[in-house]
Amino acid sequence: MRYSIFSAACMASGSSAARFMLHMPATQLLNPSTLLSTTHATLQASGAPVDAHLTRSNSFNFNNVSAGSYLATVHCRDYVFEPLRIDVSMEETVEGSGELKEVVRAWQTFVGNEWDNKGESRGEGSNGLVIEVKPLAPKYYYNERSGFAPLSFLKSPMILMALFSMVLIFGMPYLMENMDPETKAEFEEMQKKSPLSSGTNPAQQLQNFDLASWMAGKTETGVSSRGQSPAPQSKKRS
Amino acid sequence: MRFDAALALAACLAPAAAVFEDDAHHIDFHYALLGLPKHDATFFQKPFAGSKASLLYTISQNQTIGVVNPKDGALVWRQASSHDGAGPGLLRSGEGQDTVVSAAGDRISAWSASDGRLVWETRVAGATVEDLEILEQEDGITDTEAKDAIVLLGNGKPGVKRLDGKTGRTKWTFEDASGDTPFQVSTSPTTIYYISLHTPMIGASKLRVTSLSPITGKKLDQYTLSSDSDIQSREHILFAGANTAAPLIAWTDVANKVLKINIIGTKGVSTFHAPSGEPVERIILHAPDRVNSLAHFLVEYQTAVGHSADVYHVDLKKSTISKAYSLPALKGKGTFTTSTSDANVYFTRVTAEEVTVVSSVSHGVLGRWPVRGTPALAGAYPVHGTSEVVVKADSATAVRSAILFSNGQWSLIRNGEIAWTRPEFLSRVVSAVWAELPEEEEALAHKLEAEGDRNLVSAYIHRVERHIRDLEHFPAWLQNIPNRVLGNVIGKSEESAIEEIHHDTFGFHKLVIVVTERGRLAALDVGSKGKVVWHIDLNQFSPKTTFHSPSMRAFAGYVEVKDASLEGSIYINSTTGGLISSQDIEVRSNVAAEGQSLISFDLVDGDLEGFLDTKSSPEAIWTFEPPKGERIISYTARPVKDPVASIGKVLGDRRVLYKYLNPNLVLVTTVVESSRTASVYLLDSASGQLLHTSSHRDVDVSRPISSTISENWFSYSFTIDSKSATSSRGYQLVVAEMYESPLPDDRGPLGASPNASTLQPSEGNGDAAKPHVLLQTWHIPEEISHMTVTQTRQGITSRELLVTLPASNSIVGIPRQAIDPRRPIGRDPTAQEQSEGLTKYTPMILFDPKWHLNHKYELIGVKNVITSESGIESTSLVFAYGLDIFGTRVAPSFAFDILGKGFNKVQMLLTVVALFVSVLFVAPLVQRKQINSLWTT
Repeated sequence: MRYSIFSAACMASGSSAARFMLHMPATQLLNPSTLLSTTHATLQASGAPVDAHLTRSNSFNFNNVSAGSYLATVHCRDYVFEPLRIDVSMEETVEGSGELKEVVRAWQTFVGNEWDNKGESRGEGSNGLVIEVKPLAPKYYYNERSGFAPLSFLKSPMILMALFSMVLIFGMPYLMENMDPETKAEFEEMQKKSPLSSGTNPAQQLQNFDLASWMAGKTETGVSSRGQSPAPQSKKRS
Repeated sequence: MRFDAALALAACLAPAAAVFEDDAHHIDFHYALLGLPKHDATFFQKPFAGSKASLLYTISQNQTIGVVNPKDGALVWRQASSHDGAGPGLLRSGEGQDTVVSAAGDRISAWSASDGRLVWETRVAGATVEDLEILEQEDGITDTEAKDAIVLLGNGKPGVKRLDGKTGRTKWTFEDASGDTPFQVSTSPTTIYYISLHTPMIGASKLRVTSLSPITGKKLDQYTLSSDSDIQSREHILFAGANTAAPLIAWTDVANKVLKINIIGTKGVSTFHAPSGEPVERIILHAPDRVNSLAHFLVEYQTAVGHSADVYHVDLKKSTISKAYSLPALKGKGTFTTSTSDANVYFTRVTAEEVTVVSSVSHGVLGRWPVRGTPALAGAYPVHGTSEVVVKADSATAVRSAILFSNGQWSLIRNGEIAWTRPEFLSRVVSAVWAELPEEEEALAHKLEAEGDRNLVSAYIHRVERHIRDLEHFPAWLQNIPNRVLGNVIGKSEESAIEEIHHDTFGFHKLVIVVTERGRLAALDVGSKGKVVWHIDLNQFSPKTTFHSPSMRAFAGYVEVKDASLEGSIYINSTTGGLISSQDIEVRSNVAAEGQSLISFDLVDGDLEGFLDTKSSPEAIWTFEPPKGERIISYTARPVKDPVASIGKVLGDRRVLYKYLNPNLVLVTTVVESSRTASVYLLDSASGQLLHTSSHRDVDVSRPISSTISENWFSYSFTIDSKSATSSRGYQLVVAEMYESPLPDDRGPLGASPNASTLQPSEGNGDAAKPHVLLQTWHIPEEISHMTVTQTRQGITSRELLVTLPASNSIVGIPRQAIDPRRPIGRDPTAQEQSEGLTKYTPMILFDPKWHLNHKYELIGVKNVITSESGIESTSLVFAYGLDIFGTRVAPSFAFDILGKGFNKVQMLLTVVALFVSVLFVAPLVQRKQINSLWTT
């Protein structure tokens, strides 16, 4: 494993200290000069993370970083930044020369993925390497309230239903009047046969409507349907 | 991009209740605090040369650098020290510079003065910075570019360093191997003076002054000042002048009777006598810190009853000090501040009643303003401050002074008016509790109960009497109606007064009692934007105690304060802040009913032990001893008040998984340093029985492991250690749910029995029921330092896991839905699972910005978060404390029982009016039609 080689190299060299810089370039998404001074970057490996404040030149300086594999995170109030994997190692400049030099490598990394699952390389070099960090997205903290919009109001099914029934109530009499007498008679015949308005005047029915008994489910159909329905479960469902 | 996809997934996964933009800054409040400002490191300064307005810079006693706009007291920027560094916190600024230089512990940093960004940072390994100065002039020439900093190091590697003002690189180092205690550095236009305390084996301490060349750092000269055994330690030195044209060093004798002053660079010591009369308690020397100002200074004498001052002039040519004039003694406490304008020096005297400005040249008063007091400063006196004076034609036209008052308020007095006050005494709260008010409802319940005991007639009379008594509130209530209705409709309901805490409909106005490190107690109303209801200093009740980290417990109507250094406890009334003697408190019977006893538990010698409360002998009834090598780092118990609405979880197929609900659950976290293992143990605190264990390898045991437990689930988080070759890195969150049985519709071995005992399980049906634990782990992008759970009145509302993220200075509420351990792994949820709201398991949880409770606020140094129920079921109150104070309310299942701001009351009224008008129009039409239909049929 690459990482164990690093740690072995670290042991061998005793103390090594690399120096690199995370830099935020100006992009269309972000003008880094507008970021708050509380923006900071951390390098986490083992123990307390190394912390670096945002500098005037929109960068985070890390000095004296010992060899190892680090998770670099930029913490910012207004933007999400991609996490990076930064490996610091001591390597021979020329094979067999014995001369060790710090090498810094940076890749993308992904939360919830294996550490060896590296993304795109974000830079490789010796001391003083500048690694660019890019913002992924601005952070939106607030929920929008759905305000009053006439169009969405009209789109709602309740309003559509109401409008439809309005059209029926007001439009039907005119339709009936405009019908020729034969079809009208036929229509009335049909209405009489239909179970909905069997015998009585619907208006009269409406006037004599007993709300209390209806709510108590007194009609025969209501009782039968209740008996069949799995009542307790349907209550739980609600 | 994978990360984007994950982000989008996380966003759509849990449509949690986020903060509405119009609610933000209204339902929540944030005190961005600094701590008490330090006298020598508080100053007005222009953020860059040529700036029109100056800002107020300070470093506080807890080493937080803060910059405040002097106009309104708003914070411009601040940098909190993340390391509790030793040594003093120092902040200096050169004239006309666009940086400020700070030092704390072993770090010296330069910050951009206008926005607080880092310019450079230097660390001196193995030493602490004792003093810091800016080299204003070099060889009499003012450096127009970045001015260099002179740093005095102590503690291990004593010496003086000169740091480049642009880069922070060391220009030279002077090492002091004499073994003296470094005290201070002082610069003059030509020389750098290094003052140290020389303590020989025999005899009194001496002051040793070493002059160094600013260019090379080489020692030019050295002399010692005999102090005649006045100086034993550095506390006895009053002043060592910084950056004045004639730097001074001053000290007194033990009785504060004689003042001795030496002009640094000369060997003569001038002696002055303190005013006779009242014994002087404290002498403070105020001198200007600008190079080109007149060499005048003021000595303030504080006595028990008043204060007075003398002004002295230094003759640079003759190197003599002479007294110029005296300022009259005033009764009461006050302070002096120094300000310069060109070469002139002005002294501002600030008392609680008056601000006066005098010139250092003569004693004539240039300006006088009476101070209009505010309730926040009632009874307090100025402790120290800094001033800016505008003088035109020999009269002071304006003066503003940033004054720290004795009650911990930092305020700005502008021409006698209090422009703003910052409640800096609230910083570094160590303990907070929700105050339990003596409830009126309870009183009503008692009255009704009393009726039950009487006969019918007297009970009826009692009831009528009570109703008549209640009628006296009726006129006031009636009078209030128009105001309330109007306020409601316009939507600008004025925040109700503090007296209204008792008459609070929604229960948002809850008092939180906080106590700070230094023993200051305050009550905040969370419902009305954290208004400070009262605050007191505990030291007035026990003057001898120095509070370190007091702890509190809340009872109905009062709180009990305890401290390690305090004998017994102090009882404070929750609503008034008054002291209650322990006799006045009725001894409350324990919560346990007759025949029952409570079991308490505590850490004893690294083991967790349970005790019977009633027994006087402290003999443990159970002991939890962690396996060999493991160390208990924390334990969390299920909250005492943790209502659960449903005993089961209904599955998609209408079967029920029964929750394991045990009120006596304790979660113990242990670590093994050597093998980097962390384990959690779930105990039953009544029997001490172990219910569940889980263990994790490759844990960074030096980082915080936070945990919480509620209802039938617990969670904890930890950091993965990189030392071993782990397959993944970062931080993990573990959530576990406990059920009575793995099978739905099954209640486990105890299902049939009506009673069960954890103490004597064998008498019941078989062994004690152990929960069936479902456990799931997620990767999280940040470290969690503390976690807790929201609380509501009935527990119907779904809970939210509140986690504190120290790296991004925020508190995040993770909805329970997102961290359900039953989320299907490696497959899409079935239709039934979907109906339960379960989504496919993803190995990571990214914190959606909408989950942040603090939205744009930045909460620095949050130590703890406490939650409480409000008056309505949907809402839980949240209060976070530490360096900052933050309070809000959350509705994890949305505010279903209260109308939010989105409800347009005007629109509703207009609709009603429109309907009414249309009815008026339609009514005659209908009537006509009905009459017509009667005639026609």
